[in-house]
Amino acid sequence: MPDAFGLAAIVTKFALYLGVMTAAGTVMATLMFRLDRTRGLAAAFAVLGLAATILAFSLRGANLTGDLSGMTDPEMLGLLWTTPVGTALLLRLVGLGLLIAGLFMGRVGAWVSALGGVVAIWSFDHVGHVSSRDTTLLDIALTLHLLTVALWIGVLTPLKRLASLPDTFNMAANVGHRFGVVATATVPVLIIVGGYMGYQLVGSFTALIGTGYGQALIIKVLLIVALLGLAAANKLRFIPALRAGDSAAASHLSKSISVEWLIILAVLGTTAVLTTHLTLPA
Amino acid sequence: MKAILLAGMIGIWATGAMAHSPLDATTPANEAIVTEMPTEVLMNFKGDIRLTRVAITHADTHSMDMDLGEQTAFTQEFALPMHDMGAGTYVIEWRGLGVDGHALNGSFSFTVE
Repeated sequence: MPDAFGLAAIVTKFALYLGVMTAAGTVMATLMFRLDRTRGLAAAFAVLGLAATILAFSLRGANLTGDLSGMTDPEMLGLLWTTPVGTALLLRLVGLGLLIAGLFMGRVGAWVSALGGVVAIWSFDHVGHVSSRDTTLLDIALTLHLLTVALWIGVLTPLKRLASLPDTFNMAANVGHRFGVVATATVPVLIIVGGYMGYQLVGSFTALIGTGYGQALIIKVLLIVALLGLAAANKLRFIPALRAGDSAAASHLSKSISVEWLIILAVLGTTAVLTTHLTLPA
Repeated sequence: MKAILLAGMIGIWATGAMAHSPLDATTPANEAIVTEMPTEVLMNFKGDIRLTRVAITHADTHSMDMDLGEQTAFTQEFALPMHDMGAGTYVIEWRGLGVDGHALNGSFSFTVE
């Protein structure tokens, strides 16, 4: 079991993933599918991401001294600032700052926000297991992986909102259909780069089943398989039914999205354990 | 589903063990028994690290933080002066920062007869 700081680091990392991915995904989906009324959603998750970014950095300071004093110790935080952890902090602050600023800048602001989201996501290339491998292909794979996941997460809440009001059923069907088309390209990318990264980081079947890292990865993959099942039901059943005017399909879609959200939370939680607490197989 | 998840999480935490402990060798070696108190402890790491805290506990009673004032660089080898606190087991707990930004920690012990 991790100690108290280890546990706090996992929870903070989970909040960081949730905040950055949802904020970035929301602004990407808004731009791509011309969604309305997403500003509050994007801003709320961006603020969560900012808070988690600062807390995560501070907690790393505590990890260096072994007590709370490290969270505000200028020497420890200054030391961290000189490492890639400092670069990631800077990218997240700038990225999420741009994302929030863009929300209040009108039409061009949508692009500023999306750029900010990409910068914040790109920060994950600078720290962690992937960055230590120092291969460009793996960096590209991680960025692609995160961008496709973010878009998926970002479309969920606006789509659920549209599917909950009879006035916007048509729009829900339309957005759901267009996301389904995009997903035919992004989901294979997600699976291919996910498989590639898993192979690069774990390396063997023995390590996959014999190490904590490998087992956590198996849990993550099982969760993704469940998510893909729900997504397939949405794309092949509920969205076509909604487009055909079946209003009952809207409620099925809405429930399906709620379950998708729960699974995504579990995926982000598993990922936080993977990246914070577990070491890569040797 | 919840039960499977929970079982998985517990399994992961149980096998996770000590994350990131790249200490290659120490002098005295871990769990070594020596007849004389060494004047310094040597720590060799696999990669460059900056030590941020080293605490020594003697015979489960006296615990003190080492002065790391002069250890201000990222390096692989450290020589830390020791104070003779008498016979018994010395446990050295260390924390540090890898050049990649990873927090590192671990411990080792030796016994003076």
